Amino acid sequence: MQAVRGGAVSVRKAGKVYDPEGLNVVALEDVSFEITPGQFCVVVGPSGCGKTTLLNAIAGFDKLSGGKILIDDEVLARADKAPKPGADRMVVFQQGALFPWKTVLWNVICGPVQQGRLSQKEAITQARELLGRVGLSKIEEQYPGSLSGGMKRRVEIVRALMNDPKVLLLDEPFRALDALTKSVVQEFLLELYDITPKTIFFITHDIAEAIFLADRIVIMTTRPGRVLKTVTVNIPRPRDYRVLTSPRFLQIEQEVREYIDSEARKAFNAGERELAQ
Amino acid sequence: METLVASTSETDIGITSSISWKIRVRRLLRSSRPYFAALGIGIFFVAWYLLVDVLKFWRFKELPGLVASVREWISLDPVYGVSLFTAKYYENIWASVYRVITAFVLATTSGIIIGVLMGWSRVFRALTFPLLEMLRPIPILAWIPLAILLLPGRETPIIGLTFLAAFFVTILNTLLGVRSIDEVYFRAARSLGFSEWAILFHVIVPGALPYIFVGLQIAMGACWFSLVASEIVSGQAGLGYKVWETYYSVQYETMVIIMATLGLLGYISSALVRMLGNRLMRWRTRILAGA
Amino acid sequence: MITPPIPVQMAPSGPTARTPLRRWLARIFTMEFALGVLSVGAVGLIWEYAQPMGIPFIENLPPLSKIAQTSRQLLSSQLYWEGWQYSLQRITGGFLIAQAVGIPVGLIMAMNRASFETLFPIVEILRPIPPVAWIPISIVFWPTRELSVLFIVFLGAFWIVVLNTIGGAANIDPNYKRAALSLGSKPSDMFWRIILPATVPSIVTGMAVGIGIAWEMVVAAEMVAGRTGLGYLLWQSFEINAIAQCIVCMISIGFAGFVSSQLIRIFGSYVAPWQRR
Repeated sequence: MQAVRGGAVSVRKAGKVYDPEGLNVVALEDVSFEITPGQFCVVVGPSGCGKTTLLNAIAGFDKLSGGKILIDDEVLARADKAPKPGADRMVVFQQGALFPWKTVLWNVICGPVQQGRLSQKEAITQARELLGRVGLSKIEEQYPGSLSGGMKRRVEIVRALMNDPKVLLLDEPFRALDALTKSVVQEFLLELYDITPKTIFFITHDIAEAIFLADRIVIMTTRPGRVLKTVTVNIPRPRDYRVLTSPRFLQIEQEVREYIDSEARKAFNAGERELAQ
Repeated sequence: METLVASTSETDIGITSSISWKIRVRRLLRSSRPYFAALGIGIFFVAWYLLVDVLKFWRFKELPGLVASVREWISLDPVYGVSLFTAKYYENIWASVYRVITAFVLATTSGIIIGVLMGWSRVFRALTFPLLEMLRPIPILAWIPLAILLLPGRETPIIGLTFLAAFFVTILNTLLGVRSIDEVYFRAARSLGFSEWAILFHVIVPGALPYIFVGLQIAMGACWFSLVASEIVSGQAGLGYKVWETYYSVQYETMVIIMATLGLLGYISSALVRMLGNRLMRWRTRILAGA
Repeated sequence: MITPPIPVQMAPSGPTARTPLRRWLARIFTMEFALGVLSVGAVGLIWEYAQPMGIPFIENLPPLSKIAQTSRQLLSSQLYWEGWQYSLQRITGGFLIAQAVGIPVGLIMAMNRASFETLFPIVEILRPIPPVAWIPISIVFWPTRELSVLFIVFLGAFWIVVLNTIGGAANIDPNYKRAALSLGSKPSDMFWRIILPATVPSIVTGMAVGIGIAWEMVVAAEMVAGRTGLGYLLWQSFEINAIAQCIVCMISIGFAGFVSSQLIRIFGSYVAPWQRR
């Protein structure tokens, strides 16, 4: 296991209000939690709980209205000061953001090459090695349009990791996959995490996925989003699909579901939808 | 019905599969398509022949007959001096084609550049968009007097008008193309640390290319349209001018020939643009198994 | 018209306005508006003072003030308004006939494979012939000038209508049709309640484009073959070297084209209210 350099995320009393003069929609209210370096943290919650808003604030696509977010004890985001998006907080997007007009290889190497960190040759070597290690070397010259959903997600994760981010942000990345492909790609992510551990900030509404992947789960309420509970998942790594039916897993699942069920019902009755994009 | 438009619409740009063309031709011949096409085209020509050559009722007797027109076209010594075998035919074709090519190239290069700038920079768009929207609704032909007035000589007004038509269309479609690019690609590029220029070259231009090529096809059609119109008004040679000349000198068979030639050239030029687009956008492959 | 689809920042980025009136004003008098006024104003000024300033091409044009003066004259002349009347008559006539013929043809072609395969090749053969090239044949064939002008207007708009109708009807999500069948709809229901409404947005787009083409055709036909109408007026003004009048006609026609496009879009939002941006 590689040593983890940095990547401690501290969220302190983060708040976000949309359109304060008009509709006054409170997306986040007083959200606080800590992520230690190299920890796999999953935020679970029903629609409208503000999890995407939180991710956007860390990534730099949106501003907080209050509170702060720190990375490695340095203030990253504050009220009305959004950080610029950067490779230190790489995002894997929900609907997929592989450039369809470039090959898989170009997609994977573009980050370090554009930033000037690596020369083209070095980047290609490193990319080939990484792709090879996870069994994706044959698709190098193909375009994303001819890949399956699961493959596209995997390539996008590899692209993100090529940039050696301090925090890897994943925005419900497996939402569009079918259940079988989903568990394969989840295991894929875990394998990569075991090889090169990074701080991971993963959001989802799938409880089983959350428990399967996480070291720590942050359960959020429906709008306005607050932290309901944090649960530690002390299932040992490496994990595979057998974990999904282990007693410890089911125990944690029971616990999480108890907390989240009433929130899910509230969201359902309120007709909540995701506001942030 | 779902495949109807993808394979035949004017704006289809490169949903090409990777099947070899030999297999495609074989499949085409086995399907019903060419036979219906023959039927349709046949009906058209039969109707023409019947109404004009044979029945000659009402106004149809004024029109040039199918047989006479075809005969004129393929004759070695045509009555009115224009057929597949005369130099005059090709002289006129070249005069028009030359103008179209010049205007098209100028209009599309400048149009794409301006369109991309407009899509990229809010300031630039705010400065140029109102002017564009004020000038665009004016029909191209309404510019003819100004063009003749302001531009020197005989060629320049014609090329200028043809340029104008293609120019507006290209800008518009390029602008739409840039705006159509999903925000997520910009976010990904920023996260990946792309400079603004890198975003321009690697996200904006390739992302807008499908729309740009639709625009180019429309622009080509617009070019021919304005070319013919301006040639009618102020030309001395060229297919548009010839159409009008044959009308005045009652050489209707030749007029039909010219019209058919125009149609053919228009189709070929659009097809060429489309094919170029297909090549440049190889990444738009049809996902055969539907993943 | 293109709506500038700038990604909506949910939080107001300018000074937060208090009252609804001030917010409405803030939304209109934006930087975009100011820059637009600036550029249009600059062009106006250059035009007005082109002669004394000696700007190469534009100095041959009558200055803006003369244009304004001529507009006042024209607006009070009967000839001008007669011109409007004739042109509008032709536009409406040709355009409506194009819709009346084109929409059914397009629908039939979209729904019936055989008719599509038969008719489409002819469409593709005839369509590239510029409608302007049809003018002489039209004059020869139709007994009156008016009919020949109408035919040209019709022809120009016809192709667009057919293509857009086919495009809309052929691209209806098959799931809508399946849902309708499951709910037990008869073929007439399917047509009137599913296919037709789903095609309406494309038809409206075709109309908006078609009306623009119709104006081109009217001008072309009137300039070449007409004795009345705005296009004819335009050409006449040019022939008698009344350039200012010429320009006023240009502006009038452009204005007419713009207004008719907007009317169609408004019509479109009535007819297809479910298409909200």
